[in-house]
Amino acid sequence: MNARMDPSMTERGLHRVLPGTGLALLLSLVFAVLGSRSLVVGMGAFGLVTALAFWSGQSPWGWFRSLRYVLFFALFLFLAQVLSIQSGRAVFRIWRTVTTGGLHAGATMALRFLTILSSSFLYVTTTDPDRLANTLIRWGIPYRYGYTFILALRFVPFFRKELRTVREAQQLRGMRVSVRSPRRLLRALEFVFVPVLVSGLVRVDTIAMSMKGRAFGLHPRRTLPPKQAMTREDVAIWCCVIGRLAITLLARRIGWT
Amino acid sequence: MSKAPQLSMNGLSVRFSGRTSDALRDLTTCIEPGSTTAITGPSGCGKTTLLRTLAGFIPSMIHAEVSGEVRVDERSFAALDLSALSQRVGLVQQDPDAQVCTLRVRSEVGFGPENLCLPYHEVTTRISESMAAVGIEHLAGRDTTTLSGGEKQRLAVASILAMGPEVILLDEPTAHLDPAGAMDLFVLLRKLQERSGCSLVIAEHRLTPIESLNPSLWVLDRGALVSRDEDRTHADARTLAQPRSADRLVAAHPTQDIIRVQRLGFGYRERLFDGLTLDIEPGTILGVIGPNGTGKTTFLRLLAGLEKPEAGEIHKPPTSRTGMVFQHPHQQLFERTVRRDLEIEGPLEAQALKDLLASARLDGLGDAPPYLLSLGEQRRLTVLSTLRQHPQLLLLDEPFIGQDRGNVSWIVSQILEAKNRGAAVCLVTHDIPMASALCDRILYLEDEPLIGTPEGVFQKLRLRGQRAFTPEYWEQP
Repeated sequence: MNARMDPSMTERGLHRVLPGTGLALLLSLVFAVLGSRSLVVGMGAFGLVTALAFWSGQSPWGWFRSLRYVLFFALFLFLAQVLSIQSGRAVFRIWRTVTTGGLHAGATMALRFLTILSSSFLYVTTTDPDRLANTLIRWGIPYRYGYTFILALRFVPFFRKELRTVREAQQLRGMRVSVRSPRRLLRALEFVFVPVLVSGLVRVDTIAMSMKGRAFGLHPRRTLPPKQAMTREDVAIWCCVIGRLAITLLARRIGWT
Repeated sequence: MSKAPQLSMNGLSVRFSGRTSDALRDLTTCIEPGSTTAITGPSGCGKTTLLRTLAGFIPSMIHAEVSGEVRVDERSFAALDLSALSQRVGLVQQDPDAQVCTLRVRSEVGFGPENLCLPYHEVTTRISESMAAVGIEHLAGRDTTTLSGGEKQRLAVASILAMGPEVILLDEPTAHLDPAGAMDLFVLLRKLQERSGCSLVIAEHRLTPIESLNPSLWVLDRGALVSRDEDRTHADARTLAQPRSADRLVAAHPTQDIIRVQRLGFGYRERLFDGLTLDIEPGTILGVIGPNGTGKTTFLRLLAGLEKPEAGEIHKPPTSRTGMVFQHPHQQLFERTVRRDLEIEGPLEAQALKDLLASARLDGLGDAPPYLLSLGEQRRLTVLSTLRQHPQLLLLDEPFIGQDRGNVSWIVSQILEAKNRGAAVCLVTHDIPMASALCDRILYLEDEPLIGTPEGVFQKLRLRGQRAFTPEYWEQP
């Protein structure tokens, strides 16, 4: 998946909402698909995430390209469920009978997977990590942990670049990485991951010195920027999230699920 | 900023665990308030260790036995917490990319002041002033991973400035900068010192650019301070590493062996090459120079076949072997021992291995893990293993970064050997005097690329006013 969206799009859609609002929306969608086996809810949730991605500046091609591995794995989950669950009415037969129960379970599982992964991806790509860390610190999480999250994100592009460079260096030395046997697979992993790991460890040391050398951990608290005011988008999203929660609770109360 | 403190060392020695010799030996000297000190010496002489000790990282973060004393004014380092010391002494580390902690330029500059728990308005003032001091206000909202090498170096300086230190330590600050960027950095440091009165301590292999700061000179060798200020003309680690003019002789080669770049077009976000055409003849060295971010490494990647041209073609002889020495040596060391790394291209007899290691001054390191070698040793090993492939096209990406005179001379000798064997060599470097002395042709990359003999290209650069890219700028104090 691409880690970021086009920087020119950062003033649109979910980019404008507060990290807490985005998190509430993400959790609301996740609980909606986990709490219901309805295909309508699953498709609605994934459709909503896709619409939010377009509203936030993602192009349709960019969005589906970013999710291509997720879509592939969702298809795999769907097929695994379809072929393993035999309850319900038989619909047709390939080498196993495909049933309505299998189709429903497969579609539910795939939609849950798609919604959870795509909404998490959308949240990470539309939320400024510094603002998120500050929000977490305001909520009482010690700032050392808040910055662990930022550092983890900082290392994603680094590892991607290192991995590519190491593989290119091997290519130029005529080293063919074979995975045909467990022994060769282990060697291949050693050839690729050891150099990347060494680079990573060296960099961790340097960053730790850089942080400590700028008084990280000197005080139990650190300066936080003033709280940002809610935008219209924030208010609208909170209304939807609270409304959905109220409807769910009411529906359970009257026994309609 | 208050008056800069005096930093003094009294009998300072440092020994890393597991080592039998001291990394620093019995240093007794001091850094006067508001002064500039240049520290030089061969690779592994203790420059970085000294700076890390002065910044307080040794022994509090890097375990080592430290004897003697370091004092800031009259207070011993032992009585100061590292984080508290950071408000008085700041270290800009060697690799600017590796010391960035956050994802936005503004938050990176504000990281230190925020840790000091300063009022928010003071944090914003320090951010604005530090960014203005190094000229990166326009980058405030940028993602730190998208900055060029020069921009990252300025960011690293700005983030230390925001801490308001009285002593700024810089570890090879120009290593990743193009010549113009290096020149700008020293102009910036001079202005900063004039304005704030801070002390500067700069570890560098090349002293010529620092001369404008009129520094005191310390020469370290094997951890000891061997000279101060005398012998300045010979202290520059690069000046003696020039090739002989006889090496410029070019033998004739069949035309089918020539590598032809025709109407090359390529770019990532921005177009880097548009219709670039040139030939690289066997037995010649092409030097590739130019500002940061103009596509020097990309040009090598295209020649190596790691990128495909978007337009035009690169014709290489069908049986041509390509060897590439990457900028960071650890990226091309894969095996558990030096011997096994050299044997990737095929087994070596015991005597042949011994001779090969001796030729690169790696004697007795055959069974050593490559990752535990020093940077200079790693560099020699990667050059050696690349040349073991007998490449007809040898590509080198900044092979002289962080290397002392001895290593530079050895790398130059290997390049000349490959050239004399008939290899086409393409060398990316910011070392302009070296490019001038070593290369048969120069490719200067910018909006309007220049290609020609070194004399011709440097003459055109003089006319364009690009003084920092001419050899005389780096040769005259």
